[in-house]
Amino acid sequence: MPRPIPVPDAISKPFWDACNERRLIVQVCTMCDRKQFPPEAECRECGWQFHLEWLETSGRGTIVGFSITYDSRIMAWQEEQPFNNAVVALEEDPEINFFSNLPGVPVGDVPVGATVEVDFIAVSDDQLIPEWKVVE
Amino acid sequence: MARAIHWERNEDPVGIWEHRGKVVLAGAGHSKNTDRRWDGVSMDRTLGAYVVEAARAAMDDAGISPEDVDGIVTSAGGQPAHMSLGSQWGPLRPFFDAPYDSEDGLTYVTAEWIQKQMNLPNVQYMNSHGETVWNLIGLAAQVVGDGRCEVCLVPYPNGNIEGRYHQNPSLEARGGAQWSNPWGWGLSGQGFVFDQYARKYGTNHERMAPFVVQEHANGLLWPYSYYAQHEPGPFTTEDYLNGRWIARDLSIFDCDRPVQAGACYIVTTAERAKDMKQQPVYILDHTESAFTPRSLVQTLDDTESWTDIQAKRSYAGSGLRPEDIDVFAPYDGFAVFTQYFLEAFGWRGVKRGEAHDFCADDITLKGPNPINSGGGNMGTGRMRTVFITDPMEQLQGRAGDRQVDIKAEVAVTIGVLPSNAAALAFSTSPD
Amino acid sequence: MAILLSFDIDGTLELGDPPGGVTIDMVRKAIDLGFIVGSCSDRPLSSQRRMWASLDIEPDFVASKHQLGLVRAQFDDADAYYHMGDRDTDESAAKENDFGFWWHTEAELEPWLELVNSD
Repeated sequence: MPRPIPVPDAISKPFWDACNERRLIVQVCTMCDRKQFPPEAECRECGWQFHLEWLETSGRGTIVGFSITYDSRIMAWQEEQPFNNAVVALEEDPEINFFSNLPGVPVGDVPVGATVEVDFIAVSDDQLIPEWKVVE
Repeated sequence: MARAIHWERNEDPVGIWEHRGKVVLAGAGHSKNTDRRWDGVSMDRTLGAYVVEAARAAMDDAGISPEDVDGIVTSAGGQPAHMSLGSQWGPLRPFFDAPYDSEDGLTYVTAEWIQKQMNLPNVQYMNSHGETVWNLIGLAAQVVGDGRCEVCLVPYPNGNIEGRYHQNPSLEARGGAQWSNPWGWGLSGQGFVFDQYARKYGTNHERMAPFVVQEHANGLLWPYSYYAQHEPGPFTTEDYLNGRWIARDLSIFDCDRPVQAGACYIVTTAERAKDMKQQPVYILDHTESAFTPRSLVQTLDDTESWTDIQAKRSYAGSGLRPEDIDVFAPYDGFAVFTQYFLEAFGWRGVKRGEAHDFCADDITLKGPNPINSGGGNMGTGRMRTVFITDPMEQLQGRAGDRQVDIKAEVAVTIGVLPSNAAALAFSTSPD
Repeated sequence: MAILLSFDIDGTLELGDPPGGVTIDMVRKAIDLGFIVGSCSDRPLSSQRRMWASLDIEPDFVASKHQLGLVRAQFDDADAYYHMGDRDTDESAAKENDFGFWWHTEAELEPWLELVNSD
């Protein structure tokens, strides 16, 4: 199924490039010791850009809740309805979230609280995006 | 004449509002019809025409003439971030003869357009940046209190045109969409927060039914309600439970129905209102809040924390306590919003996780806890104006069949989103 | 041959909002010809029932738009199933439940009459 493909910009390009290397990275402000995702031009805490670096994550997280989309406004997704929309909290900083459709998990059978591991799927010939799979 | 002013009361501690009780709501008016959408043909049913009709009704209600109006504060598109609802009429479709030769008057309505169409000769202040109706009334109250104008026309348009709006055909996810659209994330945000709420407090979607059913019943008693005009039969628990899912746990009957209607209020000073026709409703306070999630998504923790901040700010600004509020009108643009606002404000002592129990009890108009006595958006359509008009009329004792049996001297109304809200406190007395 | 016709309301039937091109006379004629007739719409069930009652028509079913599968189960001995409507949601509901589908503009031409004639 064709799905919307992320178009990297100046700020997000390192993230998407890392995905293509199967690495999940987030910003970190070394002054505030604060992780940030999605990436921004500045640290939202201190307002400085100079202390922002990229940090590779554990790639592990927990499912903290979900929804099931039955009537999406995103037309590319309408063929897939209904589909899972889970939210994953990053293991080392649960305030950092990622989305997942949990490929292979039947619609509605989302194991909230389960540990998940990042996987990467191709959305085009030259772009991988993070997806997540439940760790048995 | 519109210019950026710092008017919001969104930094703690806000303190008691400096104009508390000195600014009032003195009149309200609505377009006679509330339509599902503009048909693209009837020039007497455009959004602009409906706003003008509502403005005239509001002026009649207050007993003022066009010469009395010296300010117009409006919300051009009726939405947050100064958007108009849905797609634009142009440029794919041709515009019409003046005054409908641009979007202005069709999908949004500016103060300048209104002033010109209504030929208001003495307008000195105009501002079209009111966003949704709570922010709009707050802005108007502030500019009147600050003396920028004295008799302020405050129109609120909310329009809808043909087609399914917000449909996104793009296969490219740019900007903020790069973080959500590849996973089909959208209204799932509301479903997700509800999922977290239901898990945390041991409740479920079916338990929303008493609230939504009661809102529909209340809305049928408001003459401008879309449902009163077009689907006047009762909405039942069976109806609610058979609603099509949009994003679980959000069904089509948790989503407000876009409509085409205009409303208008008269905001003026307490002093000036003495010469006007209606018993004034004193504005005790306005406060605002806006939040951004820590990461990708608004969580239940965010929702509770943000609404708590807004509620505390509102109480600090008005000097009210939860037990002072008689009439309470928390927004329901998605029905689930109401429970977050209700629990934050603690109306009738409701604590976190107790909203569904509260609504399972007696929330009828003639009972002790008539929440959203106007019917909210679920009972009236997406006009939002019932959140101003109903508290106002309840306090004035002119809500007709909707008049609550409880004492109605103080009202609080809150909307639009937990992430972007404004609260207003009204009273029958300036003190 | 038992054929089930499921009518969307808004944008499809003449008394919908917006009005569609399928007239109530067409619906009555279909009933007279022995089709199994009902509505499947995003309107509340009670609202659909009130609509039919106001027309003095007793529908064989009313359903929410996602409930075509229930309709099929209720009339599982029918020989053919058709839904008609004006939205992508109508088309996908029909597809998911193995109903034939007519867009509202096609339905205005009473394509079901040909099914009778070809019987």
